[in-house]
Formats: sequence, structure tokens, C-alpha cells
Amino acid sequence: MLAFDILIISIIFGIAAFFTGRYAKETASILSGVLLILIAAFSIMRFSSYSRGFVSQYSITISNSIGLYFSVGVSGLTDALLILTGIVMLIAILITDREYGSTFFGLEMLVEVGLIGLLISRDFLFFYIFWELVLVPVYFMIGRYGRDNKDSISLKFFVYTHIGSVFILLSIFTLYSYSITYLGYYTFEIGPLMGIVHSLPAFELGFVLFGFFFGFLVKMPSFPIHSWLPDSYYSAPYPATVILAGAISMMGGYGLFGILMEAYSAIPLWVLYFLAALGIISIIYFALTAMFQRNIKKMMAFASASAMGFVTLSFAASLIESAGSYYSVKLIEASGGMFQIVAHGLIMALVFSALYYISRNTKTDSVYGLGGIYREAPMLSSFALIGFLASLGLPGFAGFIGEFSIVVGVFQAISWYIFFVIFGMIITASYHIWTAQRSLYGPYNESLGFIRDVRAGEFLILIFLVLVIFLFGIYPNLIFHNLVNYANSIFGVIS
Amino acid sequence: MNDIALFYPEIFLAIMGFVVLAVGIPIRKYTVTSAITFATLIVAIIIMAVTPHSSAYGITVNRFSEYFAIVLLISALFISLPVSKYLGKRSEIFYSALIFSSLGMIIVAETWNLIIAFVAFESVSIMTYVMSAYGGKQRNLEATVKYFFTGTIATTFIILGVAFYYFSVGTFTLSTLNTMQTATKPTMLLALLFLLIGFGFKLAIFPMHQWAIDAYDGTENDVSAFLSTGTKIMAFVIVLKIFLVGFSAYTAPVYYFFVILSVLTMTYANVAALSQNNVKRLLAYSSVAQAGYLILVLAVVSYIGIGNKPGIVDLAIASGMFYSLVYIFMKGGSFLAMNMVKQDNVTFDAISGLGKRSPYVAASFSILLLSLAGIPLTGGFLAKYFLFLSVIEGGLWWLAVIAILNSAISVFYYMKVMRYLFWEEPKGEFSTDDGNKAAVIISAAIVVFLGVFYVIFPTLINISSQIVG
Repeated sequence: MLAFDILIISIIFGIAAFFTGRYAKETASILSGVLLILIAAFSIMRFSSYSRGFVSQYSITISNSIGLYFSVGVSGLTDALLILTGIVMLIAILITDREYGSTFFGLEMLVEVGLIGLLISRDFLFFYIFWELVLVPVYFMIGRYGRDNKDSISLKFFVYTHIGSVFILLSIFTLYSYSITYLGYYTFEIGPLMGIVHSLPAFELGFVLFGFFFGFLVKMPSFPIHSWLPDSYYSAPYPATVILAGAISMMGGYGLFGILMEAYSAIPLWVLYFLAALGIISIIYFALTAMFQRNIKKMMAFASASAMGFVTLSFAASLIESAGSYYSVKLIEASGGMFQIVAHGLIMALVFSALYYISRNTKTDSVYGLGGIYREAPMLSSFALIGFLASLGLPGFAGFIGEFSIVVGVFQAISWYIFFVIFGMIITASYHIWTAQRSLYGPYNESLGFIRDVRAGEFLILIFLVLVIFLFGIYPNLIFHNLVNYANSIFGVIS
Repeated sequence: MNDIALFYPEIFLAIMGFVVLAVGIPIRKYTVTSAITFATLIVAIIIMAVTPHSSAYGITVNRFSEYFAIVLLISALFISLPVSKYLGKRSEIFYSALIFSSLGMIIVAETWNLIIAFVAFESVSIMTYVMSAYGGKQRNLEATVKYFFTGTIATTFIILGVAFYYFSVGTFTLSTLNTMQTATKPTMLLALLFLLIGFGFKLAIFPMHQWAIDAYDGTENDVSAFLSTGTKIMAFVIVLKIFLVGFSAYTAPVYYFFVILSVLTMTYANVAALSQNNVKRLLAYSSVAQAGYLILVLAVVSYIGIGNKPGIVDLAIASGMFYSLVYIFMKGGSFLAMNMVKQDNVTFDAISGLGKRSPYVAASFSILLLSLAGIPLTGGFLAKYFLFLSVIEGGLWWLAVIAILNSAISVFYYMKVMRYLFWEEPKGEFSTDDGNKAAVIISAAIVVFLGVFYVIFPTLINISSQIVG
């Protein structure tokens, strides 16, 4: 019930944000701050002690005869991602330029509504509605406020991800039409429907799995279906980039761990190996592509996709371990992957906010356009450096925890192929360091003239993010034990 | 004499049609005739809703026919809305033609007799020829001539089909029982073919669609709204009855014809719409594509067979019924949004920057477009959702994949319109009249209402089994 209340409050806030006029930024910041506090309070109330399965369950009946309900439930994973959503959206709103007007803030609040809705829905119809709802505001943000060729890029973003979504819809329909056969009643509820996946006939099983994987991997994005990513990240205004990197890519990870993992026993082994290969290729390919970018925003876009490769890999590997006779590290593996989603979102929020201030103050975001800005703006470049270091997975930051647990676990599943993952990590480290060195340190590019450093308010935004990332890096158990509990409840293992 | 109560809506509309004609002669203020028409249609909807359910003289009023009669009357309401662009410029003949055509439409919805349906159908067609020519401009007349000639050809096919149907079955009544006894006559196939071509013209499905593009583009906006909603849904109702009930022993050919036509219609129309640079032609192609989605219902139901698996058949027909209702608002509202533009030829430049001049209308228009594209929280999403759901439930996975990919392609051109609405600078002149705005905003509000409140659809499932008459 509490989670449902948060959703209702967010819907009211989202509509209200459109009509705030001159004080749009203040109102939207306060509203999303309130939402974050509510989410945090909810997490403390419901997840501070040991809990398994879903809490705060609530269901509204719409029609019994065709199985329409609006059911809500929160698991450990959902809760962690709700916190991520709250933080990322707050940051996105705080770094939005006041000039954009109340419409932009309204759109941002609408994205938050969609994200909260899709996370807490335990019903496929409403899950899909909120899933699609996220796309529309982002389309408007890119198309209206973006740069360079924004028209075609926003359209490409929308249609690409929409095609991904409709495949999810087809899978949902197939499951629904089989619910009468295996359950005896029609339903859209996620739990029962994912429970019947393993008993589907072969063709339908393939159809359902293909639909889900395609839809989720587009959002991640994973290797062969990523071409919307660089353009959209580059063209979007910075707040929208924060949302894309922190929240939209989270949707893909949630789809894998929050939805598909409940049907883990139904996924054939070769699909998992294929998925693991996609994850590894994503890590290496995006890292290599990022190395050749000369625009930091684009480079970080690829870095983000590369980090999401770890999520795909960990999902595949944890399921391989649960299927095979390997030593049971699947809990660490799966929890590491889920942790990586959260860590990646927070780190990308930090990187892109720091990058936003740099590009706003210097009017450029290319590596060669910058150079030695530490001399003029030491605080800002330090934050950017922290972002880069966290992004490459330096111990002490949240990203390290995720990547470490994944690599430890993956080794059990794919043995020496782990070399490729390590190779990807080395490339990642190299281009992050190179970029930091070239743009933040070294000789100052005199043509930039005087650069303003961050103001007090901006400092607070960045230091807040740094502290959160650092906190999760040195005390991951804040959310890690919830993730382990969640994985435990799925796999049914008592550790 | 109790049977007379069945005909109250028809009698009322017929009387009012003549009253409007009579009033128009002494009173030369055409706003009065428009107001009378509006009130007449509202009252007709109310009478329709309270008409007793029974059957006499080839007219059957049950919940199915009542639902479609009301939906069709709503589509006629669009044209009599007090929209200033045309208010006061049209004489009583136009409004009387509208009332007579709505009379024909409710008869089509209520009859299961082929010859009555044919006569009513033809009366609607003739009235719409009058209405589409009414603007009197060169482009109106040109569009009407195309509409008239193709319409006449279609009529010929229909009457031949009706004749062959009578020849093989021995009755004009559409019922699942008749066809069972004479299922083997080869002339049934001829009847099927002729009826399909004839009604295919009215429904504007793929090879028979070209008149629709020109007619919707060439006529005035509210007439195009009526042509693309009212007459199309009417054709859909009669097609549902003929091919699902009348040909219930001939499911295999019905299935093959409609599957092929549906795939071709959707794909062709969506691809053709991509390259349009005129908004009304784009909307016309989109309405052809929507007809392609609508006839998926026939494909699914004939694939299963109307007597088998009642749950899925009911779901499929109910989704068609829900789609018709939503379609009327989203398509009618979209065509009425063209009233905001002062020029007749609505190019992309003409609508660009509407969002800067009247943001609420632009936002409502984009809600309607999103609904046509099938984005959640709009009625169009739920309609497509249940439609594709029934296609998958019926076991036609590949068809659902094609349909849903088409739906994804269609996003391209709807978004293109929205881009011009919001992100381009205003170039043309826009109307500032409140009547023009209200029509669009109300349609958008209803579309959102239909998309958010789910209670309507389960009721339709109970109604849909009454399609057999």
C-alpha cells in the first residue's frame, strides 16, 4: 500500500510540475526531493530488517473476467532501483537549465512517474504502460531541447526503443493466452505468468524469450542493438543524458533481473552462453569504441554501455551457474549484477553532471577543446576526475563492488574467457585516464580564457553524489544484503 | 403494435430530417438548422439507448446493434458540432442529408437482412455524395466525382454479391443456420468475392483504397471526419455481420481473404504515409491503415470459427467494437484539428508552429496522434492492446508480429506531424475560434478517458456474443 501511495503522489507531483510557471525549477526540485525522502523512508521502514520476497503488496481489481488487476509489490531489487531513480531524477532536475521552462521540468517529473510505476507494478499491463510512458517525455526532451540533428535522432530513439517494447508486448500476450491453460484463469500478473514459462511449448517458449530479451537488451543497450545510444546521448541536453544513462539503461537491467530471472529455469543453456557472449562483446566493443571518441560526452555514452555489459554478463553467468554443476556462487553473481545497475546509474549521474558544468563553463565538451582546466577550475576538475575514476572501477567507489563481485562469480561459469573481461577493464581504465590527463590536467588551453569554478549550490549537488557513491563503495551492505535476499528468494537457496 | 417501439429512433430521425428541411426555407439563419441537427442527434442517441430489445420486420435491436447504432450516431455528431469554420455557411439541405444518413446508418447497425442493409447502405452513400460536394469549390467537386464513381462501382458489386447470396442460400437473412445447410454451393464463393470487393471499397482496404485518399483530402474537414469514421465503421459493422454470420460455414476463404487484405492494407498504407507531405493525406493513409487493423478481427474470428472457443471469439469481436468507439474520437478529432488551419490545402508548413499559437489544441492533437500510434494512457493503446491480444490468443502469432511492427512504423509519421506542431516556427495563419479548439480538446479528453478507465471493455465482451442476431 505504501508503495502505491508513493506512485499516486508522484503522479500528482508530475501533473503539478507542468503548471508551476516561473518557479518551475524550485518546485520540481522540492517535489522530487520529497519523493526521494519518501522512498528513503519507505526503504528504511520496510527493508532495514531481513525480508524476502515482495513487501507492500496491494491490488486493485479492474475486471475479474479478463484478469485485469493493478497489483503492486516491492522486492529488494525494486527498492534499490527506486532509490537510484529518486537520486538520478533529483540530480537531473537540479542540473536543468532554468531557461527550459516548466514544460521541461514537467516532462522530467513524468519520467519519474513512469519509472516508479514500472518498478513497483507486479502486473504486466501496467508494467508495459509505464514502460512506454517513460519514452514519450524523453522523446520530447531530445527533440525539443537537443542539439545537432535532433529531429531525426529523437525519432530514431523513439522508434528503436518502441520496437523493442512491442516485442515485450507480444511476449506478454503469449503468456496471457497460455495462462488459461496452465493456471486455469486469465491473468496479467507477473509472478504467476513467469511461473508458467518453463511449461510452454518449444516454439512459444522461444517466442516469449526472444521478445523479452530483445526488448530489454535494446534498453540496456547491448552490442548489436545499440545504435540509438551514441546519437541520443550526444544530442540530448545534459539532464536528459543523465536520465538516459542513469535511469533508462536501468530499465533493461530491471527487466532482466526483476522480470526474467523469475523464469530462470526455463531459459535454455545455449541462450545463456549467447547472452554471456553478448555481454563480453559489449564490454570490449564499447570500450574500444569509446577509446576512439574525441567528444567526452560520446565517450562516456559508450563507457556507460560498456559498464552495462557487466550486467548482461552477470545475469547470464548467474543463470548458467544455477543450471550447471558449478559451485554455487550465483548469489554473489546475481547480486553483483544488480548492484552494478545501481552503481552505474549513480556514477553516470556524477560523470554527466560534472561534464555538464564543464561544458557550460567552457562551451565545449571535446577532449581537444579542453586541456588543463585544473588550473582555472580545480574543484570542478576534481569532481570530474572522481567521476572518471569511479567509472573505471577504482576500489573505494561503488562501481568496484559491482565489477568485483561479477568478475569473481563469472570466473566460475566461463573459466578462462574471463581474460576478455579483464582486457575490457584495462581498456576502460586506459581511456578514462587518458581523457582525464588530456582534458583536466596538462598544459592549459589558453584559448578557453577564464573559466568559472562551481558555485556553492553546484558543489553541494556534486558532493552529494560523490558521498553516495563513496558510501555504497565502502559499505555496500546498505543495499547489498537486500539484493542477496532477493536473489535468494528467486533461486530458493539458503546461504 | 408493440413492434412500433422498435422504430422510434428511425421514425424520429426521419421526421426531424424533414423538419430541418422545412425550417430551413423560412428561416435563413443556418445556425438554427445546425443547432436543431445537433439536438436531434443527441435525442436520437437517448431514444436509441432506451429502445426495447426485440426483433420485427427485419430489424433486430439487441445490445450489439444498439452499441453500434450509438457509436455511429456519435460519429455523425462530429459534423454538426458548432465549429465556426462552416457554421452559418451551409444550408438546411446539408444538415438534412446528415440526419438522413444517420438514419441509414442505424438501420445498417440494426439489421441482419442483406437487402435492407443494402438499401440503407446505399441511402447513406447517396447522402454522403451530397455532403462531400457541398463545399462547391473545385477540389471538393473533384473529390466527390472520384468518390461517386468508385462508390457506384462498389454498389454494383454489392448488389451482384447479394444476388448470388440469395441464389445460393435462398434467403436474405444473415444467420448461422442458413449457411450450414447449403454450405457446398460454389456460388457462395462468388457471392463472397463480390461482397468483399463491394464493401472493401467502402471500408477503403488496400486495392480499393485510392478514392479514400483523394476524397478525404478534397472534402471539407468535418465531412472528411464523417467519411473516415462514420461510413467506415458502418461498413465495418455490415462486414462483420456478413462475413462472420452469413458466411459462417465458409470460414476458410473468409480467413484467407481477410488475412491477405489486412496485411497488405496495413503495410501499404503505413509505408505510403511515410512519404506524404500533406497532413490530410497522411491522416487519410493512416485511416486506411486503421482499417487494416480493424479487419484483423475478421481474420481471427474466421480462423477460429464463430461457434468455437467462445471466450476468444468474444474477446476478438469486443476488441473490434472498442476499437470502433476509440477510432471515431481519435480520427474524427484529428480531422477536426485541421480546422485550425485557414487554408484548404493542409501541408506540413501550414500546421507548423501550432504549438506556439495555441498550445492546448496542439497538445490535444498530439494526444490524438499518440492514440492513433497506440502509445499507452490513450484509448488507442487499449484498443490495439486488446486487438493484438485476441490475435495472439487466436493462435496467429505471425499476424500479430506483422501488425505490431506496422504499428511501430506508424509512429514515424505521427511523430513527424508532432515535430512540426511543436518545434517549427509558425508560418501559416491559424484560426482563433473557440469552437474549433473545443472540438479537438474534447475529443482528446475522451480518448484519454477511454484509455485510463478500463471498465468499458469487460462490458463489451458480454455484448459481443450477440453478433449472431
